[in-house]
Amino acid sequence: MLELDDLIIRYPDFTGRYSLTVARGALCAVIGPSGGGKTTMLHAIAGFEPVLGGAARFDGHDLAALPPALRPCSLLFQNHNLFPHLTASQNVALGLKPGLSLSKAERGIVADALASVGLDGEPHRLPGELSGGQRQRVALARALVMRRPLLLLDEPFGALDPGLRKAMITLTDSLRRQHGLTVLMTIHTPSDIGHVADLVAFVAEGAVQCVGPAHEMLKAGRSAGLDAFMGV
Amino acid sequence: MAPRVARARLLSARLPHPGLIAAAVIVALLLAALVGLSSAGGGAGSTASLFPSAYLRGVARGAALQAGLSTLLSLLLGTALALALTRRGTFPGRSLIMAVITAATVAPTLVIIFGVIAIFGRSGPVPVFAGQMGLALPPIYGLHGIVLAHVVMNAPLVARVMLGALAATPAEHSRLGQMLRFSSLDCFRHFDWPVIQREWPGLATFIFLLCFTSFAVVLSLGGGPANATLEVAIYQALRLDVDFARAASIALFQITLSLGIVLAFSLLGARLPDTGGHIAARPRPDANSRWLKVFDVLAIGLAVLLIAPVVLSVVTGIGQLHSLANRQVLDAAITSMVLSALAAVMAVSLALLLASAAEAAADGLRNPHRARLLDLAVLAILGLPPFALVTGLFVLLRGHVSLASAGLVLVPLVNALMALPFVYRLIAPPLRQSAERHGRLSASLGLDGFARLRIVAWPVLKRPLAAALALSGALSMGDFGVIALFGGGDLITLPYLMAERMAAYRIDEAGAVALVLVTVAVSLTFIADRASDA
Repeated sequence: MLELDDLIIRYPDFTGRYSLTVARGALCAVIGPSGGGKTTMLHAIAGFEPVLGGAARFDGHDLAALPPALRPCSLLFQNHNLFPHLTASQNVALGLKPGLSLSKAERGIVADALASVGLDGEPHRLPGELSGGQRQRVALARALVMRRPLLLLDEPFGALDPGLRKAMITLTDSLRRQHGLTVLMTIHTPSDIGHVADLVAFVAEGAVQCVGPAHEMLKAGRSAGLDAFMGV
Repeated sequence: MAPRVARARLLSARLPHPGLIAAAVIVALLLAALVGLSSAGGGAGSTASLFPSAYLRGVARGAALQAGLSTLLSLLLGTALALALTRRGTFPGRSLIMAVITAATVAPTLVIIFGVIAIFGRSGPVPVFAGQMGLALPPIYGLHGIVLAHVVMNAPLVARVMLGALAATPAEHSRLGQMLRFSSLDCFRHFDWPVIQREWPGLATFIFLLCFTSFAVVLSLGGGPANATLEVAIYQALRLDVDFARAASIALFQITLSLGIVLAFSLLGARLPDTGGHIAARPRPDANSRWLKVFDVLAIGLAVLLIAPVVLSVVTGIGQLHSLANRQVLDAAITSMVLSALAAVMAVSLALLLASAAEAAADGLRNPHRARLLDLAVLAILGLPPFALVTGLFVLLRGHVSLASAGLVLVPLVNALMALPFVYRLIAPPLRQSAERHGRLSASLGLDGFARLRIVAWPVLKRPLAAALALSGALSMGDFGVIALFGGGDLITLPYLMAERMAAYRIDEAGAVALVLVTVAVSLTFIADRASDA
């Protein structure tokens, strides 16, 4: 279970105070206007933001003292997830060993991960030769081999075509069920996520304004801010 | 199609791109100079030949060795410094070190020579201290002196380019490094090595050519005929032997070799060293490694100990500042200002024309290789021999104009050409970026020629242009190239004056001039940095 307990992040022009609970194995979609603090929340969980107060816990363990490398989470960005000078399989292998000297068994794990995201045909391509969707698949494969129970995705499919976006969300969802991952995903178009999300959190002005099951949250009348964001 | 647009299309179809005209003018000037030199001949016993003598081949080999050493050491020291400064985003004195690096990249050659002699020369603090420790250092004159001066001049340039390139890695990558538990070795392999691979060939071309054609440093620190460059040989042919035809053939040899060098490096994937954008420090996963802390302290310490004293040696001139208060210095200052202002305007105009030609050749990234070739052709200008150029052109003008008025045109023209590769680096990248971003939009709006320059390019170019003006002004202000040949009589610049004082062993008075030169160059550069950062 992921718990944010009044987690405080402060910048000269921005203050974030986050409280949120996501059950283990659930997929929580984070929606809200840009600049509202969605990315900051994910970065704070991953350990990239200095936290001023409150706590972030996973399965009861406080994350505060842990550097990003030791936290139970992996984070996918919208862009620049891959190193351009490394091939697809090397980029995945980084998740196992940054030194890239893999044993035969580890090479098998990388190949399996690439296969499970549907990329078994392109292990030796460089990121520049892959499409945007393929690049994000490679990043997903790397998150899988890292074997961390919490997967954070920051608008990972925002730049993809609608059809591809849906396919990637479905893929993410099936990987979550297969590996028992807890997933937190910021997303621009809430309609994409309704069918897979257990939970939707609406983040605006640096706080989780309201949270609930997807079918309730995506209906009008829940809150004025949410209605304005959804355009209903 | 509107008639105006149709006419514009017709016109632009008939006329070659103004940038190509500029390039043609540069080539024509060079050819004219060579013709001028050859026609002047060398009197009795002229040794002109299309094929370089064994002596010249030896000079070229020696210069290549010297330039190779200088380039390698500059790359190593400058990159070590850049890596250390990238890993250590904040520490007391960092901005001071950055200021010294900037000052060293624009300090006039003569000032660097002055500083190297002041610090490492016979009575300088380094040999004196070594002597007290019972260590007898060899005199500074010789190959090691030349290489030392070249490293002091070029390592800061490497550091600046590498700092910008290292800072351009996406923030996501440094976060990935933290998340993936990168060791120091992984950081080097995945963050730094790709940048080194990308930037070193271009930097190496640039620095190798600068050192291969070096003049003032080699003449003052070479310590004899064993150390020379072709540039020095041209100077000697002109000034000592008065054998113009021989100068022309050496010039041709140097140009051929320089073109060969650029071509060879371009096969290695050399591209124009970028000036880099804003230099921001990022958290690095390897910042806590104990070994790297030691390495970084050593790299920063070595660079500072080597570079800072040389640049700061000009403060010895403070005691002699009153020696500046005379008519001769004032006249020299005015001459320097006029010449460098002219050179700056010429250099920036040429760079703008050539950069827009390169952009047109790239045709919105459809032909990136053509643009890269043009970029490298601009680098090849570093191989043009300024003495041969200026003398050859003067020979053609001789009899029509006086020496002084010829100098007023030829000195800034040649200085502008020599500053061109430096300035082009500032102007070409933003112009290309603007073309990539807005090229299609301007084409669809029918924006062409001057209107496009004014509406689309000017907003992104005005700061780089200001920076380019300041840089070329600073470079020309401190130049001691052609003025060494042309100066004297009516045409005395501050560097010329400084060289005179150095030659007369009026060291402190030379220091006073050096202080002025450094102050002007550094202030111009800081203004330019402000302009390009803001």
